[in-house]
Order: sequence, then structure tokens, then C-alpha cells
Amino acid sequence: MVKSISTPLRIATMVFVVFTAIFLLAPLVVVVGVSVSESQFIAFPPSGFSLRWYEEVLGSDAYVGAAWISLRVAILVTITATVVGGAAAIALHRRKLPFSSALATFFLSPLVLPTIIYAIGMLMLWSAIFGPVSIVTLWLSHTVVTIPYVVRTTLAVLSESNPFLEEAAQTMGASRLQRLWLVVVPQCRPGLIAGAFFAFNISFDEAVLALFLRKPGLTTLPVQIYGQLEFSPDPSVAAVSTIMIALTITLILVIDRMLGVQKFASA
Amino acid sequence: MNDRAENTLLVLPGLALLALAFFVPITQMLILSVSGDDGPTLAHFTRFLGDPYYLGVLWRTVRLSVLITLICAAIGFPLAYIMARVGPRLRLWLIVLVILPLMTSVVVRTFGWMVLLSRSGLIPDMLRDLGLVGRNFAIMQTETAIVIGMVQVLLPFMTLSILGIVTRIDPRLEEAARTMGCSFLQSLRTVVLPLAVPGIIAGSLLVFTLSASSFVTPNLLGGARIQVLAASIYRSVTQTLDWPFAAAQAVILFVGILLILVPYARLAGGRSNG
Repeated sequence: MVKSISTPLRIATMVFVVFTAIFLLAPLVVVVGVSVSESQFIAFPPSGFSLRWYEEVLGSDAYVGAAWISLRVAILVTITATVVGGAAAIALHRRKLPFSSALATFFLSPLVLPTIIYAIGMLMLWSAIFGPVSIVTLWLSHTVVTIPYVVRTTLAVLSESNPFLEEAAQTMGASRLQRLWLVVVPQCRPGLIAGAFFAFNISFDEAVLALFLRKPGLTTLPVQIYGQLEFSPDPSVAAVSTIMIALTITLILVIDRMLGVQKFASA
Repeated sequence: MNDRAENTLLVLPGLALLALAFFVPITQMLILSVSGDDGPTLAHFTRFLGDPYYLGVLWRTVRLSVLITLICAAIGFPLAYIMARVGPRLRLWLIVLVILPLMTSVVVRTFGWMVLLSRSGLIPDMLRDLGLVGRNFAIMQTETAIVIGMVQVLLPFMTLSILGIVTRIDPRLEEAARTMGCSFLQSLRTVVLPLAVPGIIAGSLLVFTLSASSFVTPNLLGGARIQVLAASIYRSVTQTLDWPFAAAQAVILFVGILLILVPYARLAGGRSNG
């Protein structure tokens, strides 16, 4: 295909790709640049080179505390969303339950509703029943918004799996639990892994639910950064942000190792 | 235990969680949006719809979301097409290019734009040096800043939506069109674009919804004076503590999104079927 394209058009395509790449990456590059600046003020290009802002971040209770909360929530969410969503996907795939397709829609519905609307509802309900929000509120609500991803990735993998393996295992005398654990779950593995990565990434980076469901002492990393940006941004914000970007890159590398980035992107 | 029992046990935790922690909260919000001091009331809705300030906020939200969606589609379609047609190595890099920003927190990306667009930032500086704008030129705290930031945030969603469809278009269709005398751009317009419509529509629905309901980027890049609906909801919840009014605004946001999306999806569905 590409061979038969005229030279000017090919140049135009290259220019377009380069500009789009700059546009997509510029904010990330700038953040990394600011984080190593010597100056007290946020400036890009940075003046000088120093790691003092990283030192500041690692010594700051606010940032380290927020990072710890984000990490705890993200790990809890990843586990629950993967287990609960994966189990549901296995049952949905069999299509033996009444209202199977309605159930599938039900499980994907949090994807359709804007998060801000759900966030208000959760805040209002929790305050009415339990009073102040807690880490449990954040855990539950992040699990709700990430379950659809696990269901979707697992269903996609199951739809391409061999349906007769389970029957074969049954014929050979495997019990229900053995069939589920030794045959079906391994078949789901790539879907479960992709879903788990989605869940971790969304929970760790998510700002909307975390902004609505916060209280003093319950601030996730994105909320801490948002607060700093609203009031007094200094290069330490850039240093935390750079750490988050580094985490994202690590995550992408791990995903590529385990699944391949292309497969993940099409999920 | 029979099959039915096993399957029920498998869906039950998720079903219970979504019912209690998703549908009940939304119901609670709907109830709150019509509750007043003495019994049910539509006062919160009439307050919003009768106030020119809030109608302005609503209009700005719709206007900016449409603009953001159009720009994302205009960049996303060629980008997705290029991704689908280049060699596997380059495709991998382009996918990383799209995924890396997508997986980075919106807060972090918006911070990057704050640095780039600020008064002494790289972009206004460059425009000044080129003599394109005056000395007092500023982008921060304008609608332009919101659009730039939001397009960068949402472009990956659009691109991946279109990519999913474009990769399934058989390249031989284009070759056939070329053999029959189409120029490259003609084959793009008459063959690829019509086949890519479902992807463009899915992407537009997603981008429009996300754009209309986001407040983090608009708040940070547009400032307090340029409010969008989601930012106004956030303010009602956290600053004025008027929760019923916040709930009513959320209902208006959702109904507004549905009013725009349902006809669009139907129109598009009709076209791609016919």
C-alpha cells in the first residue's frame, strides 16, 4: 500500500505523525524537565540540574502518605476487581443464567455513566448511612468502576477459548472446583492479567472519585497533586508527577512482557 | 451442586456489589435532586434552568465538548489509519505513543500543559518570538487552554476506538479502488472513511461524554471564571455544600449527554446499517 503513495503525501504523513507525537508527549516531557530544575520556580526549559525536589518529595509526609494511600487502595482494588469481575465473566460467558445478555450489560454499565455522577451518588449515600468517608469508600467505588474492564477483557479471552476443554475435564472425572480452577481460570489468564493492569492503573491515577471521596488524612496522590496545582505549585509537584510517569512506563513494560502492548491496547 | 448454582455463585458477588455500591448510590442521588425542605420539589432544576449564569455554563460545556470531539476525530482518524497501515515495528511505537499519555494521570498531564501554556511558558513565548501575538498575549485561563488540554487527554480514546475498526478493513479494498483509478486520497475518502464510521462514532460518543463530564483539566487550565458544568457540580459539592443542587446539576448533565448522544447514535446506526 505505502509504496504507491506520492512523495509529498508521504512527507505530509511524516510531518503529521511527528507533530501529533510532540503534542501527545509534550506535557510529559515538560513535567520531567521541570522536576530536575535547580530553580525555585517552575520553568521549562529547566535551569541547571538538581535532584533536590526528589529529596523534598521523599522527605514530605504529605506526599509519602498520599502515595501510601494510593498504593493500598490500588492493590485492594486490583485484587477485588479481578476476582469478582473474573468470576462474573466466567459465568456470563457460559450464557446459562436467565437474562444473560441483560446481566452482561449490567456489569458493563459503570463504563457508560460519567464518573462524576457516580461520585456524587456515592458521597451522598455514604454520608447518609455511614457518615464520614473512609478508605473503604474509595476501595468500593474504585472496584465498581474497574470491574467492567476485567469483565470485558476476560469475556474477550473466553470467547476465543476452546469450550470443549471443560467438558473433557468433566468426562475425565474432574470435580466442579477442579474444572473451574485447573481448566477455566488458566484459560482466562490473559484476560484476567489485562483486567488487573487496567484496574491498578485506573485506581492509582484516578482523580474524580478520589476528589469527591476525600477527607483530611484520606488524600490519594492525584488529589495531593491537584491540591498543589490549585494553590502553590513548585517543582516538587513535578518530581512526584515524574515518579508517577516512571511508574506508568514500568507498567507498560511489564504489560508488554506479559501480554504484548498491542493486545492490551485493543482490549 | 448443579450448573445453575455454580454460575449463580460466580456472578453473585459482582451483582451484589454493583447493586449496592453503584445502583443504590445513583438512586440516592436521583432522589436527592428532587428533595426539598418540605417534600419533593423541582426547585433545584428550575433554579438552574432559570439562571442565565448556569445556562451559560451549560452552553459552554456543550460548545467546548463538541469542539473537542471534532478536533479529536480530525486528528484521530488519520492517526489510526496510519497506525493500521505502517509496518509492525513502527506500529508498536505509535501504540506506545498513544498508550503512555492515556495511562498517565490526567492531573499530571494537565500540570504539563499548565507549565507549557503559562504566561512565561514555552508556547506563548514562542508565539511572541514569532511575532504572531502581542506582548500581553495569554492562553492560560482561556477556553483555548481547556480545548488544547482536553484534546490531548482524550485523543487516545478516539484513536484506539477508530483503530479497532480500521485494522479490520481489508487493505485489498483500497487496492481495488486504486486499480480502478482512484487517487490515494479518493480511496481514503470513498472506501476507508465510510467503513471507519462505526469507529469514529464510538470514539465520538466516548470523547463527548468524557469531555462534558470532566472538571479537573477545565478547572486547572480555565480557572475559576470559566466554569463548565462538571466544575460547577464539584463546586456545589465541596464549596457551597449544596448537595441537592449538585445532584440536580448531575441529572441535567446526564440527561443532556443522553439527549445529544441517543439521536447521534441512532442516526449513525441507521447509516451504517443501510
